[in-house]
Formats: sequence, C-alpha cells, structure tokens
Amino acid sequence: MNRNIVISFGLHTLLVIITAMSLPFLAKEPIDLPPIVSVELIQISDKTNIPFAPKAKKIIEKIKEKEKEKKIVSEQAPPKMAKKEKQDAIPLPEEKIEEIKEIKEKKQNPEKIETEVKQVSEFEKKDLFNPDSIAALIDKSKVETAETSKKTEKITQDQDKSIDFGGLSLSEEDALKAQIFGCWSIPLGLPYNENLLVRIKLQLKPDGSIMRSEILDHARMNKPGQGFYKVLAESALRAIKLCQPLRVPSTGYERWKELQLNFDAREMLEG
Amino acid sequence: MLFRYLLILLILLPLKVFALIEVDITRGNLSPLPVAVSPLSIDEKSKSNFKKILKKEDLGSEISAVVENNLRQSGLFNPLSKNAFLQKPDIANLKPRFEDWNLIKAQALITGKVTFVDEKLRVEFRLWDVLAGKEMMALAFTTVPSNWRRVGHIITDKVYERLTGESGYFDTRIIYVSEEGPKTNRIKKLAVMDQDGFNNKYLTLGNELVLTPRFSPTNQMVTYLSYFRNLPRVYLLDIETGMQEVVGDFPGMTFAPRFSPDGKKIIMSFAKDGNSDIYTMDLENRIVERITNHPSIDTSPSYSPNGKYITFNSDRSGYQQIYVMDSSGNNVKRISFGNGLYGTPVWSPRGDLIAFTKLHKGKFYIGVMRTDGTGERLLTENFYQEAPSWSPNGRVLIFYRETKTDSKGEGFSAKLWSIDLTGYNEKMVATETDASDPSWSSLLTN
Amino acid sequence: MNLSKILKNGFLVLVASLVLTACATQKKSGQTQGDVYTGTDSVEYLASGVKDRVFFATNETVLTTASRETLRKQAAWLRKNSKITIILEGHADERGTREYNLALGERRANSAKDYLMTYGISSDRISVLSYGKERPVDSGSSPLAWSKNRRSVSVKAN
Repeated sequence: MNRNIVISFGLHTLLVIITAMSLPFLAKEPIDLPPIVSVELIQISDKTNIPFAPKAKKIIEKIKEKEKEKKIVSEQAPPKMAKKEKQDAIPLPEEKIEEIKEIKEKKQNPEKIETEVKQVSEFEKKDLFNPDSIAALIDKSKVETAETSKKTEKITQDQDKSIDFGGLSLSEEDALKAQIFGCWSIPLGLPYNENLLVRIKLQLKPDGSIMRSEILDHARMNKPGQGFYKVLAESALRAIKLCQPLRVPSTGYERWKELQLNFDAREMLEG
Repeated sequence: MLFRYLLILLILLPLKVFALIEVDITRGNLSPLPVAVSPLSIDEKSKSNFKKILKKEDLGSEISAVVENNLRQSGLFNPLSKNAFLQKPDIANLKPRFEDWNLIKAQALITGKVTFVDEKLRVEFRLWDVLAGKEMMALAFTTVPSNWRRVGHIITDKVYERLTGESGYFDTRIIYVSEEGPKTNRIKKLAVMDQDGFNNKYLTLGNELVLTPRFSPTNQMVTYLSYFRNLPRVYLLDIETGMQEVVGDFPGMTFAPRFSPDGKKIIMSFAKDGNSDIYTMDLENRIVERITNHPSIDTSPSYSPNGKYITFNSDRSGYQQIYVMDSSGNNVKRISFGNGLYGTPVWSPRGDLIAFTKLHKGKFYIGVMRTDGTGERLLTENFYQEAPSWSPNGRVLIFYRETKTDSKGEGFSAKLWSIDLTGYNEKMVATETDASDPSWSSLLTN
Repeated sequence: MNLSKILKNGFLVLVASLVLTACATQKKSGQTQGDVYTGTDSVEYLASGVKDRVFFATNETVLTTASRETLRKQAAWLRKNSKITIILEGHADERGTREYNLALGERRANSAKDYLMTYGISSDRISVLSYGKERPVDSGSSPLAWSKNRRSVSVKAN
C-alpha cells in the first residue's frame, strides 16, 4: 500500500514538472479578426413580372445546369423555335427551353456576381420559394435544398415558357399555384416510390370556373395495382373543385382558357 | 411540286395559337381531411330493440361515434362538429344536399342506417364525395348486436382505404401486459383490448410473471413468456377458450417468442449455460429446429412477412446490434451501424422496414430502417421507451414508455404510446392500469 | 522560460490535477468501483460472512475480484452443507431492452455457476433462473440504484 503511494506521488510530481516546462503560458497576443463582410440591402419590389426576371431565371438555371452538367442543345435562331411550336407535343417545350437557356447563358457570362445576389432576392419573397432556395445555390450538399432547387428549376422552366409563349406571367402563375396549394389535401397513404403524377386538362370560363375537366391518364384509374392512383386523382379533382373559381388573370382569356394542371405528390411525400 | 411547298408552308406558318399552359402543382397541404360523420339514422322500433339488448340509447349515434373517434385518432382526418350539421341523418342517407355539407367545408361525408332485423344488427353506410357531389362507396353489414363496435371499426377501415389508398387498421386488437404495484414487486397480467381502448379483458390472474405477448397473425392465439412455477417458458394461449399450454419441452428458459407469418411456427430464444440461441418449433408436428448457433446472445427474432428472412438482436459484435438472416439461419448480416445499442427489431407487415429500439448516451429512441440497414430514421426520443409493434398496415407503431422514479423511488409508471411512421401524431394509448409490451393483431376481418 | 513562468505553470497544473484526483477518489471510496456495486446495502448473508450476491458492470457478465471472493466463500459453505441446493437468480438493470436483459441475467447467473463449479460444486446442486429487469432490488432511477440491480443472487432452494 505504501509503495503504491510513493510510486503515485513520484509519477504525479514527474507529470507536474513535465507540464510546467512545456505549458505555453497564455501570452498577451493580439486576436485575429476576420475581415468584415459587407452586405448590401436590397429593395424588394411588389411585382414579379419585371424585365429583370428572365435574367434571374438564367442565373438560377445556370447554377442548376452547372450542378447537373446537362447537355446543351445546339443553338438555333429564335424564329425556328416559334415554328416548331405545336399544341399537343408536350416534349417540345423542353427542347425549346434548353435552347433559350443556351442563348441566355452566352449573354450572361460577363455579368457580375453582385447581380446574382440581387436577382435571387427578388424571388426570396415568394411563398413558393423556400428561404432555403438561396442556401441551395450556396450549399448544394443539403438534400432539402436540392429538392427546393428542383422546385425552383421546374418553376423557372414554366416561367421560360410563359415569357416566350405568351402564357401566364410569373405573378399570375404564382397566384394560381398558391391558390391550389391551399386546396389540395394530399392523401398521406400513397406509396412514395411510385409515379404520383396526375395531369388534368381544364376548360375554363372567363370567371375562372370550370367548364370541363379531364384526367389525362384516365385509364390508369382502374388498373389493378394502381388503386392509389384513383385516390390521388380524386384528391386532385377535389382540390380543383374546392378552389373554384380559379385565380385566373383578368385579361387574355384566349391564352388561358385551356389549362393543364400537373399534380405531383412525390416531393411532398418523399420529403 | 409548288403545291407541296405551299402545303408545307401553310402547315409551318406560325399560327396565332397559344401553347397549352401547363402549371405544375407540387405542393399541397398535409392537414387532416375535413370529413363529416353523420349519426347513422335509426327507426324508432330498432332503436328501442337495441336499447333493450345493448343498453344504448341511440345505436346510430354510438356507431358513428366509433367511426368519428377512429378517424380523428388516425391524425389524417378532421371530423367536423356535429352541431354544424344541417341535414338530418335519415334524409342525408338517401340524398344528401351537398351544398349544405359544402357549407361547413366537409370534403367527404359518411351517412348510414341501422336496423334491427331477425334479431340481428344490420348497418348500411355510404361515403360521399361532397365536392364532386356523388357517392363513392356503399356497403351493408349484418352481425350480432354485440358486435356493434366492430361494425364501426370496419366502416372506418373501408372509408380510410377509400380516401387514403392504404388499408386500414381499425378492426384490430392490442394485447399487452397490464402492470400494477411497486417497481420491486410488479403484478403483471395479460390483457387484450380493441385498438381504441374499449372491451378490455384480462387473460391471466397475475399470480405469475408474464411478459412479451404476441398475437398470431392468423387466429386468436397468443404466445408469451410465463414464469409459471418459477420456470420461465414460452406458452400458447387461446383467447377464446383461455387454454394455455407450454411450447415444447426445453430444458431451460425459452423467451422472446413470435409467430411465423403463416401462424404455424413459434420462433423464440432458448438460453442454456449462459448462451441464448434462436429456435423454432412447428406447432403441428412439434419439430424443433435450431436457427442460430453462436456463443453470443441471440434474441428478439422477427420474421419478414413473406417468411423468408428473420431479423434478430445479437451481441456477437460485442454489443447489441440488429442482424438479418435467411429463415434457415444462413447468410447472417449485420444491418445496424449507427452509434449506440440496437434492440427489439420487428419487421413491418409491408416488408419494407424494420422498427427497433435504440439506446444512445442514456436516451432511448424508437426508429425504423430499411431492411438493408440504410435510411435509419429515429421517430421519438425518451428517458425510457422500447418494443415497437406495427399496425397491420405498416403505418403506425405502438410501444411503451416508462417514467423515472423520483429520489424516493416513487412515481414509476409505464404507458402505451403510438406514433405514425412519419413521426407525427405521437400520443398515449389509454389503458385502465399501467401497461407495457404491446402487440398489434392483424385485421380481424380476414 | 524564466523561473516565474515555470512556477506559474506548475501551480496551475497542480491545482488542476488536484481537482481531477479529488473527483477520482470520490468514485473509488463510494459505493461503486468502476461501474460495479461494492457496498453492502441490499446484500444478505447465506451464513456468517458469506454474502449471497455478486454484482456486475453495465452490459457485462464477467466476475470482478470481489465477486470471485464472495463466490469462493459460497463454495466453501456449500461444500460444508452438502445437502443444500441453490438457485442462482440473474438480474439486469432497467436501462436495456426487456428480452436482451433476460438473456443477460441468464448469462450472469451462469458466470457465477461456472465459477462455483470450478470449486467443486456439482451442477445438479445449482439451477439458474433469470429475471432480467423484472425484479429490481432498488426502484430508483440513478446509476447507484442500477448498479445494485445488476446482480446474481444465490438463493437456498431447500
């Protein structure tokens, strides 16, 4: 017992001596301050349908494309695009978007980063866009933000369409979406790893009420093993009915009298 | 030739046609769906007959109350207040005035009729889509009057399935261990109740310690651990008859029993000389098969719904972890790799997930992971909770929680809790006494 | 480095280590060593000086030196009283899943049984019974209470 005490004491003293010799005493050194980051306060305007909008879209798309390394379709002169325009060929709009993006990209190269920040904040105020969408541009590793960036991308594609094909403006589309978001009660029991897309074509009256609605994948409703599709489609129909009259623009009936709503529950359920 | 060119030009000429505008709707709300559950209409004669037999004033309202409560408890539906209902039950059942129901913001409506026919209870119900203004479903049931609560549960299952796309879990029972007394000398009894807490029945008297009861997936048999005569062994109990019998003739403690998905085998642990391994016994021919053979503790086995795999708890890596193997015992693979101890693995009836208990840094968690161990998600955290059991549709987990005792060693309690797979709707399941070790039956209507 | 600095450092380190060792000694001189209960609260006696139980660390089933000493005394007493048979009851604390704790209790009791057998006690005089976490001796929810519950108790069977 005694021997142990002596050994312990000896070792402890040794330890004290060692640390005393080598312990760096806190010297009065100056603290390194990180450089001050200047933040520019940006004015957010009310309207979203502004000439700036296309540029901002470009920026978001550009960053998305960098992420995804999409193949760029060869440039074509604008007039050609208009000719290709067909009402029922759904894949076509996508092609066109790529072309437009490509052209815009070339134009936007000399733009400064500051402008990016400005434009991005225009979108910040929208309910559709999560505050996270900004983070998405910065921190691409977050899964959450990846989803919102997907959203943003989808929406920007629409905007592209709208600007160039005389459809709904950004604010008009936002308004309609926000309205339907509030009406759609998504059934929670759906299998999240299946195709949860319901496309409904609507014929509208000038006041936004529905004349006719048609589910494009109607046959799927009664397919065996796709029972959930029926439930999903019904929920989409309920949403539309609940939201009548739809928030349609006050002018230009001819351009939006036929509308297709693509309900996709996947994001909500997967997340 | 020229004509051809002209034709092409005409076709390609940019017409003043507008593209079909497509709007993507990728978000909605996940708030509970507002539904109106109208009291079921009942004629005066039937009403008085049922009052005599069941001592219930208005069976139509009683049955609709069962449905309403079930829907509310699921967290997916919001049954609207009856005070706002404008239409009377009997008229609503024949032809609802949808504008009335629309006014109170109901999106779905349940109506029905109850009649006393040939000494039996007959219930018809209809589910209406208020916004579309049409009937979605209409069914009728006939049964003995005492089964009236089950009719309410079956109606809920049908409505739930129709509106969510998932099969329901309302016509089910939960078996659990009822606990009373001080922690150092708890009196434990087997008890069974409807999933909504009604019709509670005790199955044992509390004279011997009973633990971990599990339902057979196919009939009204239960397997559990009993310390009858101070010999801890796995037993079978028939809920209808109350008959108990010991499973097999093992020379040592058997515990952690479960049924195979076809209900024909019992899988359990057998402890001998400090080592616990997994064994099965066929209930018909009584053949015993050894599944694991390892000096570590192997316990808490659970079959996959197709019977091909078994997930279990083993400390062969040094600490409690979750493993998966073939039902023959081959190809043992560890699937839990997070920080902490893992236990009580239980395979979802949907086959896609395994629920478990996790202990890490002094806290207990109930979580789920995919059957290959990826996608670990912790649903809830507590001082002490364990032993999740799945609802038959693989959507809800029931488990139990114990509270800390205070400095005097008092204040201990154990209660059943349930939580949705998404992590929402965490709530206590009310029981008469303290409770632990819950196990969910499959749908009684099979 | 000048002398004053060395002295300053030395003083700091000394104070720090004293504080540390103070904590350490508290663990040792209290009721648990490491994680294993070393007190006599809840301990009963089979005979004078023969404790009826041994304790274990969390998740462990190995016998400590103190446990072995207790079991040696038990073995001696059993040799003297050759007609007595015992039941070894194995227990676990509440901080674990129920089924695993049943297995753990069984293993602990078997640890004790194996040791008794190496001292000549025949295995048909010893039976093993695990209670998992079902029969705690201390209903508290503290590390000390839990340490008292992690035990293997020798109970006279006849």
